[in-house]
Parts: sequence; structure tokens; C-alpha cells
Amino acid sequence: MKQILPDQIVTQVRQVLASQLLQPVEMVLFLRQENCETCADTQQLLEELVALSDKLYLSVHDIEADAELARQMNVDKTPGIVLVGRDGEKQIDYGIRFAGVPSGYAFSTLINDLILVSGRDSKLQPMTRASLQNIKKPVLLQVFSTPT
Amino acid sequence: MVLAHQMAMENPLIQAEMVEAMEFPELAGKYNVSGVPQTTINSGAGTVVGAYPEPDLLVAIQRALKAAG
Repeated sequence: MKQILPDQIVTQVRQVLASQLLQPVEMVLFLRQENCETCADTQQLLEELVALSDKLYLSVHDIEADAELARQMNVDKTPGIVLVGRDGEKQIDYGIRFAGVPSGYAFSTLINDLILVSGRDSKLQPMTRASLQNIKKPVLLQVFSTPT
Repeated sequence: MVLAHQMAMENPLIQAEMVEAMEFPELAGKYNVSGVPQTTINSGAGTVVGAYPEPDLLVAIQRALKAAG
């Protein structure tokens, strides 16, 4: 199987992760056997990524076989990725999801998110944090993007 | 950096999903995505197009929640 991440990116990302990851982070990936053009590539991409740091973990689930877990994690698309902080066996869900293959712009977002979740810190301004913590109703933000 | 993901970290009631628009054309069509990034709040209760500073997205979220009652 041909490697997806170019060698140069592998070197860069390995360095960034080594210097910036603090606590363990797990990528929970949901796939579908049929009608999912990018599922196989996404799995391979995340496998290549997880190999670059011993603080990263990957678990792979079938969205139909593990429908209950998908429901609990609020995942309805494939490939779907949930980033969670790992504290021993415990998972800390920060509400971060990706739908579709994280390439291009989404790949750099994923790397940034891994660093934030690893630090357990959103890096937002204190005033923004305070306002967000005052929200009492469910909020779903869907950010549409393209790879370039 | 995706601000929505940072915001999700601050409150368990907030979930932020980055959607690859080309892979989910029906959803992108439903929310009339033309420029990216586009952020849709609570399934169309609010929309923000382009990059924006923290206070602007926050105001858009608060407005969408208020409009929903």
C-alpha cells in the first residue's frame, strides 16, 4: 500500500507532535463497509498519523456494527472522527468531530486540534470562555470546508 | 485553526463538526454552502461565512439561540 503522507510532512508532523503533545489523545474513527469512497484512505491516513507519536491512539469502528457507540458519540457520517482526551481508560469528549477525509486544510486543523486536546486547553480568550460556559442549550456548529 | 472546535472544548453542550463539503453535497446543499469555511449553527438557526474573530462567532451563536427561544 502506498504511503499517503509525503516523507517531508511525516518529518514535520513528527517534530511538531513530539514538541507539543502533552497528554494522550484518541482518534475514534467510524467507517462504513459500503458507499464510503474515502473511508479506506481515512483509516490509512490516521494509521500513518498515529504511528508518529506514542501519545496518539486510534480506535476503528463500523458505524453499523457499533451503532450504539456511534449514537452515544453523536456520529452519523462516515468517515467520522471524534477526538477524545485519554485519561487511563477514561475518554474525555471535547465535542470535536470531523466528517470526511481530513486532508489539506482539514489535516492541519486535525493536527492543531490534537495539540489543543492534548493540552486540555482551547487557547480561547478568557472572556470568550466565560460566555461559552454560560450557554445552557445544546449547540451544534457545522463548519463546511474544502481541502484547499 | 477552527474556532468552532476550540469553542466546543469549553462546554459539553457544544459540539463542533468539520464537514468536508464535497463529500457531503446534500448537506452542503441543504445549508446553501457557497463559500468556505461556512459555519452553520443548530441546523440553520444561524450561519457565518468566512473566517471571523472569537466575539463574532460567539454573538452569532447567542443570536441563533435567542431566535430559537
